[in-house]
Amino acid sequence: MNRAPRALTLAGIGLACLSLAACSQSGTTTAAGDYPAKPIELVIGYEAGGPTDIGARMLAKELEDKLDATITVVNKPAANSQVAYTALTQAKPDGYTMAATTFPSAIMTVLDESRGASYERDSFAPVALQVIDPTAVAVAPDSDIKTPKDLVEAAKAKPGKLRATTTGVASNEHFALVSLKEVSGAELAPVHFADGSTAATTAFLGGNTDVLLTNVSDLQPLAESGKVRIVGVMDAERAESLPDVPTFKESGYDVEISSSRGYAFPAGTPDEVVDEMSTAIGEIMEDPAFQKKMTDAGLAPSYLDADEYSAYWDDTEKTFGDLFPLVKADS
Amino acid sequence: MDSFTALLDGFASALTPQNLLFALIGCLLGTILGILPGIGSTAGMAILIPLTLTMDPASAIIMLAAIFYGGAYGGTITSVLLNIPGEGESAITCIDGYQMTLRGRAGAALATAGIGSFIGGTIATLALVVAAKPLSELGLRIGPPEFFSLVLIGLALLVGLVGRSVLKGVISACLGLLIAMVGIDPVMGLPRFTFDQPHFFDGISYVPVLVGIFGLGELLATSGGAAPKPTAPTLRQLLPTRTDLRRAAPAIGRGASIGTVIGLIPGVSSAISSLLAYSTEKKISRHRTELGSGAIEGVAAPETANNSHSNAAFIPLFTLGIPASPAIAVLMGAFLQNGLTPGPQLFTEAPDLVWTVIASLFVGNLLLLVLNVPMVGLWTRILAIPYSVLRAVIFAFIVIGSYAVNNSVIDIYVMVFFGIVGFVFRQVHLPLAPLVLTLILGPFIESALRESLQISQGDFGIFVDRPLSLVFLLVALAILAASVLSAGLKRKAGLPTDAEV
Repeated sequence: MNRAPRALTLAGIGLACLSLAACSQSGTTTAAGDYPAKPIELVIGYEAGGPTDIGARMLAKELEDKLDATITVVNKPAANSQVAYTALTQAKPDGYTMAATTFPSAIMTVLDESRGASYERDSFAPVALQVIDPTAVAVAPDSDIKTPKDLVEAAKAKPGKLRATTTGVASNEHFALVSLKEVSGAELAPVHFADGSTAATTAFLGGNTDVLLTNVSDLQPLAESGKVRIVGVMDAERAESLPDVPTFKESGYDVEISSSRGYAFPAGTPDEVVDEMSTAIGEIMEDPAFQKKMTDAGLAPSYLDADEYSAYWDDTEKTFGDLFPLVKADS
Repeated sequence: MDSFTALLDGFASALTPQNLLFALIGCLLGTILGILPGIGSTAGMAILIPLTLTMDPASAIIMLAAIFYGGAYGGTITSVLLNIPGEGESAITCIDGYQMTLRGRAGAALATAGIGSFIGGTIATLALVVAAKPLSELGLRIGPPEFFSLVLIGLALLVGLVGRSVLKGVISACLGLLIAMVGIDPVMGLPRFTFDQPHFFDGISYVPVLVGIFGLGELLATSGGAAPKPTAPTLRQLLPTRTDLRRAAPAIGRGASIGTVIGLIPGVSSAISSLLAYSTEKKISRHRTELGSGAIEGVAAPETANNSHSNAAFIPLFTLGIPASPAIAVLMGAFLQNGLTPGPQLFTEAPDLVWTVIASLFVGNLLLLVLNVPMVGLWTRILAIPYSVLRAVIFAFIVIGSYAVNNSVIDIYVMVFFGIVGFVFRQVHLPLAPLVLTLILGPFIESALRESLQISQGDFGIFVDRPLSLVFLLVALAILAASVLSAGLKRKAGLPTDAEV
């Protein structure tokens, strides 16, 4: 096998990278014209190996070639990315510090005053959106609930008795439940699994809750193996990977909740730097091979450029901002 | 195709030179990553995944899996030799492992841990081959209420860890629980005891706490000069004696069963397996009174349990497609990026690959044994370094390790603070084991309790209505009652109760 030696070298390089990973870079600012002139630090607010990290590392690898720069990925996994956002917004706005920004975390940490975030919406200069993963609702395969309408009616028949999983207070699933109650009057009882979607999924499969709420990408393998039936997707359009599953919107319930992952610089970063990075990410994401890599890893490619991402950020902040008081009252 | 013929085919391809080589690289890398505190095997795997994309899928997954269980063994080395727990799962091993090192028995401790890990891993993998499906159903049956009651068994066993002074034990346990309370409340979403530091919103990471209490605490305590210092074992002391093996055997058996069962429950850390295994030894081992002062059981049981846990965690991955731990989630990412969706359908879609990976788990565990037992001599040479030099190295090591957990300086302060706490504990003879137990179990107890009550909509009856939960509760009660009774009897007879930990 002639592949083996090459892979071995790569593994060796990986080991070297590991030892370098702890060292961060610092230096002086350079003019925007020769950007990037030194290594770029990419801060990720989640653990290495999580979905945000996997997507970001895939992109970072391609960006290194495209921009002919070194990108150092630094994980600061704490407080639902709040530590990473604080680090980003306090960094020099010179284009050499970028962070993975995810919703709802980037919005929720600002909205929730008890978290005392030191940044706000305007502290970020959005660069590009990489992934949108809509929230979807699933039930046991033998359940009577087959459509979003069935779900609403079942919940209305027994208000507050149908138990649904979330991945914690003010998670996108929690927002989804509150939003559904707003538009349809259907009241489901949230069970918060602050440890994340694995705990929620396990509890659901063990019959401890009636409804499973989670991202489309997490549900797909479960649906394929027949463990769950997906009732509906909370997005404007049907998911490409689930063409037969209706949206809540087309069933008459205007609920659109997703988690999404993008990138931002600190506010004040020169526009040409933001544009250069945004364009580079856009070009990478147009490549069908890269799209396939992302899809294989369960990440739905959804590119938005800097302006579109800014607008999306404002819209999402509005949606979540309106629901936030209800979410707080519910917890 | 019959499982065993499929497994034999799996062995044929797992034993090709290329796959064997990758398993070996993985074991080595994992061991090294495990030795470095703070940089766990999970992060190592995540960073290597992009590099594995150019490899053959089977080789890539074999290498990543080997890193995963190699890491479990690497943590043991620093726990035993230097009293620094590389990972939560080997924290409890520090207690008896380091005592053995102080007596010049480091070699026996490491070799026994290696043998235990091999047996534990092999038993869990056998369970995967023989009974993956029913076992995964069992794992799902353990929902939040059952898990809560199961953890109560762990807490009841705490009574055994408390030692001679119940008051001191309870102080230690309460302090552990208090540390575990820091962070955002899992149901109300409000920060608790976080000093307005977002860093503490997810709770205090327990690696810096443990590294401080054990590693730095020990450095401070030994700076007086009179304290015992580790000594390098002589050649004859490298291998466990026949008595060691006879005593370790039942502990390994119990550790393997505990690890295999707990490993089935998705989302449960292997630290819990090693803690429960240690507590069980403390309660039922024939030499329980020696535990805490360098008993071989105190190393054999937790090390066997955490390795069988790591291997059993593959069962929910292969049967349900659920990643049972962060490390397994990374491995699942590797499957996905190679275009494979883990789950029961994998056995029909890519049977060759699945059985190759399963066979490689057996091979990898064996490699780990072959690799590490001869290397025990090398590792223990570390102790031949003059202690005045070694302690400087240890200090640098624990500072870097604490920083590496979250790439955060705050964790270094946390480590130093708990180093002082650890020093005070040693001066006033407070036992460390109860603190470790409640620190790690605390967040699990809290979330299991509150999730259960949300499921039952506020009704505490859920814990007794469910048969499995009721059984666990009764076991916990029986343990408590037995401890109280036996302590009472011993006191009457004027005998000392369980030894200090």
